[in-house]
Amino acid sequence: MIVVRQKPLDEICAMIAGHRSVLLVGCNTCAAVSLAGGETEVDTLLQLLRLTNKRHGMFIELSPAVLQRQCEPEYIECLQEGAYDAVLSLGCGAGVALLASTVGKPVYPALDTLFIGSAKGLARWQAECSACGQCVLGMTAGICPITRCAKGILNGPCGGVSDGTCELGDRPCAWVEIYERLDSLGCAKKFDTILAPKDNTTRQICEWDMSEGCDEK
Amino acid sequence: MSLSNAFGAGRFAITSEVGPPKGTDVAEMLATAEMLRGRVDALNVTDNQAAVMRLSTLAACVHLKNAGFDPVLQVTCRDRNRLALQSDLLGAASFGITNVLALTGDHVSVGDHPSARAVFDLESVQLLEVIRLLSAGVDAAGKELHGSPEFLVGAVVTPEARPLRPQMAKFAKKVSAGASFFQTQAVYDPESFKRFMENARQFEVKVMVGVVVLRSAGMARFMNKNIPGILVPDSIIDALESSSDPQATGIELTARFIDEVRDYCDGVHIMAVGAEHLVFEVLDAAGLTEGCIA
Amino acid sequence: MAITHTNRSNQDDTRDGRLFAPCRARCPIHVDVPGYLAAIAEGRFMDALEIILARNPLPSVCGRVCLRPCEDGCRRCLLDEPVAIAALKRAAADTGVYPAPRLARRIPGRIAIVGGGPAGLTAAHDLAALGLSVSIYEDKPRLGGMLRYGIPNYRLPDYALDRDIEYVLSHGIEAHTGVRIGRDITIEELSAQYDAVLVTVGLQDSRALPIPGADKPRVLKALPFLEACANGESMDLGARVVVIGGGNVAMDVARAARRHHAKEVRVVCLESRDTMPAAAHEIHDAEMEGITVHCSWGPREITGENMVEGLRAVRCERVFDLERRFAPVFDEETVNEFAADTIIFAIGQGPDIDELGLPVTFRNSIMVDPVDLKTSVAGVYAAGDIINGPTKIIDAIASGHRAAASIFRDLTGHGDTLESLDQESAVLGRVPDTMAAKVETRRRIQMERLEHWDAILNFDEVELGYTEFEASREAQRCLSCTAGARLAVEKCASCLTCTRVCPHGAACLNMGGYLYFEVEACHACGACVSQCPAQAINLETVSEEDLSRRVQRKLADRGMDTSLVFSCGHVPDTLIEAGVDFRAVQVSCLLRVSERSVFEALEEGASRIVFTRCTEGDCRFPHAQDLVNKRIRHIRKMLSEAEMSEAFLVTTAPDEHFTTEVDTP
Ligand SMILES: Cc1cc2nc3c(=O)[nH]c(=O)nc-3n(C[C@H](O)[C@H](O)[C@H](O)COP(=O)(O)OP(=O)(O)OC[C@H]3O[C@@H](n4cnc5c(N)ncnc54)[C@H](O)[C@@H]3O)c2cc1C
Ligand code: SF4
Ligand code: SF4
Ligand code: SF4
Ligand code: SF4
Repeated sequence: MIVVRQKPLDEICAMIAGHRSVLLVGCNTCAAVSLAGGETEVDTLLQLLRLTNKRHGMFIELSPAVLQRQCEPEYIECLQEGAYDAVLSLGCGAGVALLASTVGKPVYPALDTLFIGSAKGLARWQAECSACGQCVLGMTAGICPITRCAKGILNGPCGGVSDGTCELGDRPCAWVEIYERLDSLGCAKKFDTILAPKDNTTRQICEWDMSEGCDEK
Repeated sequence: MSLSNAFGAGRFAITSEVGPPKGTDVAEMLATAEMLRGRVDALNVTDNQAAVMRLSTLAACVHLKNAGFDPVLQVTCRDRNRLALQSDLLGAASFGITNVLALTGDHVSVGDHPSARAVFDLESVQLLEVIRLLSAGVDAAGKELHGSPEFLVGAVVTPEARPLRPQMAKFAKKVSAGASFFQTQAVYDPESFKRFMENARQFEVKVMVGVVVLRSAGMARFMNKNIPGILVPDSIIDALESSSDPQATGIELTARFIDEVRDYCDGVHIMAVGAEHLVFEVLDAAGLTEGCIA
Repeated sequence: MAITHTNRSNQDDTRDGRLFAPCRARCPIHVDVPGYLAAIAEGRFMDALEIILARNPLPSVCGRVCLRPCEDGCRRCLLDEPVAIAALKRAAADTGVYPAPRLARRIPGRIAIVGGGPAGLTAAHDLAALGLSVSIYEDKPRLGGMLRYGIPNYRLPDYALDRDIEYVLSHGIEAHTGVRIGRDITIEELSAQYDAVLVTVGLQDSRALPIPGADKPRVLKALPFLEACANGESMDLGARVVVIGGGNVAMDVARAARRHHAKEVRVVCLESRDTMPAAAHEIHDAEMEGITVHCSWGPREITGENMVEGLRAVRCERVFDLERRFAPVFDEETVNEFAADTIIFAIGQGPDIDELGLPVTFRNSIMVDPVDLKTSVAGVYAAGDIINGPTKIIDAIASGHRAAASIFRDLTGHGDTLESLDQESAVLGRVPDTMAAKVETRRRIQMERLEHWDAILNFDEVELGYTEFEASREAQRCLSCTAGARLAVEKCASCLTCTRVCPHGAACLNMGGYLYFEVEACHACGACVSQCPAQAINLETVSEEDLSRRVQRKLADRGMDTSLVFSCGHVPDTLIEAGVDFRAVQVSCLLRVSERSVFEALEEGASRIVFTRCTEGDCRFPHAQDLVNKRIRHIRKMLSEAEMSEAFLVTTAPDEHFTTEVDTP
């Protein structure tokens, strides 16, 4: 799932300042699951913005809406026409982008899109995938070195690892984990294969049409 | 005289390192090198060490080369993609620089430009392979070169890494990717180093043991805590602590260590970490005076 | 996107698949117990009273003397003790203000009700509320039936009864007292004047045994004796009184006799101690008042020349035969004589309905169809003890509801209410071990009562009721069975936050990966509700809308600098002492207060939000403390981003000073 988090309030305020009427649009898929873009978060952000605006003697009319998924044109069609002159999207970047190309009004992101991740208990997520377009998990026991390794390197731990912790100190070393899991799965041999430098052309795919193939350079 | 001569002659090789300046004034760097003239086989030139931006390694190597030293060009993968890496390597070769040390490099976030984008288009193993390709006359894309470099290619290894097994596995990968000599992370425990060497001897590579001269117990503790892969034993910390002249003790301990392991490896790489003047004291104390010419 | 909210007080019980908490299921009229307990837990006595009144028009009475079948079913029974359901009903009745009657549009139809006991009053209430014209005919000078003339004042004082009767009568009911139907007016005459006649005359005949000496003066019967007590007549019973009988009525009679200065009161009964029909606590109270109970004795003769001198009794070896039929077996050799100046029979009540001329059963009760309570005489219905036999008030009320529903159907053709009375319902199972492990053991709060030696001096009420604080605390023991989280599947974003947040593991996934809530495990703490990003969960006890309405109501008359206090326990005195202008919203747990509630209160003009927390020992959901801390941190963070940090305070009740902010660990 795509993991998002709300931007700092002042950044949001600065974006919508100057508009008379703003529609806050949540997304009931990934953004809701990230506890940042569901109906509840739309409501709270709206309240908080109203409180802040009032304190600054500003008046912006704010109204709420939630779409099932902002990255689907059909769902966006469900948006009611309204007198709003800007949209504040509580969706991931894809949602913001599609809204912005559809509604014909300025669309601002209320969230920052962090990563594709998995849930790690209550309101915690872990980055798992960087959408590199050329998955190596088969060689790495399901742990993504592109994502989980701070350097995104491919052939084993760098010299920065200390006691299994990454040089950055904020995570376990992905390569130590990969090695250990490969080992425990009885396929430590896989580690010895030198992985070639990544084919970065897959990162430039900007459209994918299942029947036509993608627009690869 | 050079590193390859030392290896070729089967002599115990000695290297140390110099860091390029932050700025354009290379006088101090050259002065430091001068102190080591005649005592070491080659000088490593660090590459934006610890992710702190400095004068380029390549330029620094050229200065040293012109001054008659044999430089080792350290190449990290942090700041350049595969194009830039290759073109710098070719450039170095064109200046007659023959030693490279392939490193992955520290992450930008530990240095002085933490918000920079870290590149890591390649890492050490892949870089070694690319160097091998260049030496064979083609680039990483398989395109032929007009004139190809001849490098003595080195890499690094951490004998006391924790955990050790993935480190050793990567060591093997580096060997098969073409590294012919290795510099190790600083080691203090001769026994553990000997154990490492038993393992390393299965490969036909030269290994230079890394040493960092300890100047105080505080420094030892700091390194234990902050430098990955370094393990200063308590006995050494105690010795430094109880010494009235810890620096002298540090030199003595280093010399004794070198003495103890020299028969097990092919050379020593002395990392001065800001105290280059101690390097020759260590060498003296270790009795390493024979034939080191630069 | 609002979720339809179920208003507890008008809850539509006819919806399919109703699931009741065992307390509610065991209550013959299915009062929404968890609903009103939740309201009391939050200090909302008015709301509680309205929820009760939706089904029980006599809360003040039932709160005192209901025989409380609900409590036997309470799911706390297996954990520690049942919740004091009845006593809390009393708290609602005593503390709340009875609302103005809600009357439907008047419709044609006149009904006469014969007898002003609980059955008659209930039916009158229901029919009048439905818009019909109702007249009650009562033989006695005042309404209430056994509530007035049977149950002694020390258990049910007149003022407490009158509150309920006034409420019932406020529905526009005519009451004719001192009119005995059958003698003053006949049933036929009534039938001619009214569209329906409901007979709820109860059991007015007090039984006695035809043993030698039973005709002596100072041999009394329970009901006349109790009626005299109720009328405040003074009596000379002598020093020694023997009461014959082993039921609750015998205990009432014995305790009443004690209040008429009898020094030595003995209860003599056929049954053994453990088969005595009287409730254990009634026997206990009697004994505490100095009454001795003599079990397994069969009265044979009342001795004495002219006056009563004693009761001769023989050993009773067995009361019932193997088929549980009444067939006492005596050992005539084992004899005992109980000295007495007065003997009172309290061995049961029977019908006294000869004058009515209605068809009767072999037991001499009125014959009715059990579903619609019609007698064989057209337009005449019967309900209450006269058809049930001697039971309890709540059965009489249930019967009154049924009669009203039946009459309403026959007069208007609307049979929904009657049908709903027979609708099946499932009952929630026992507390699962996983949940039991997380529920704090907490004994029932004991109500203050007169000391036994003071109690016997007069007929003053013995049990003094809960204070509001005690009532809230006691109500917080309720597990809110069936009243917890409800999922609106179509809104759910499948984030699984609820499954992670629920301290009781009530939010679960089945093997197909579908989310459901394990009703048996839900403790209605609200943790999931306030965390759900999709607003897909609602709490039956307090919906988000309820809470929002309460906040708005509280702040409607706010001043220039009014704080809104959300409190899960008590508002600290320091707040009051500091002279802070505040409005308090009590919630069962601060977890129930979402960010939205906080910001809403600020938008409504509160200048500051205060969370007053319980202290650890008082906490109702100790396993949720961590979540409360997280919530507090989150609210702080959001408000500090909005540069409004000073608008949010957290204190601990009761000792912490108002201005000291308690840092969350
Ligand atoms: C002493 C005693 C204590 C009790 N304690 C409890 C208790 O603690 N808890 C509990 O749940 N139950 C208790 N009960 C039982 C409970 O009181 C009865 O089940 C309940 O009152 C029955 O209600 P009812 O409306 O059917 O009859 P009643 O309450 O008996 O009311 C019938 C009414 O009809 C009137 N009436 C009778 N005949 C006529 C007529 N011909 N014309 C006009 N009016 C007439 C009577 O005067 C009376 O007012 C007790 C009963 C007794 C006797
Ligand atoms: S320590 Fe491990 S995770 Fe961190 S950068 Fe190095 S290899 Fe990657
Ligand atoms: S805990 Fe509450 S809801 Fe559950 S059975 Fe007891 S009184 Fe009823
Ligand atoms: S917290 Fe709400 S949205 Fe998330 S799974 Fe539970 S019900 Fe669904
Ligand atoms: S979190 Fe609380 S309200 Fe929600 S399901 Fe669990 S016990 Fe019930």
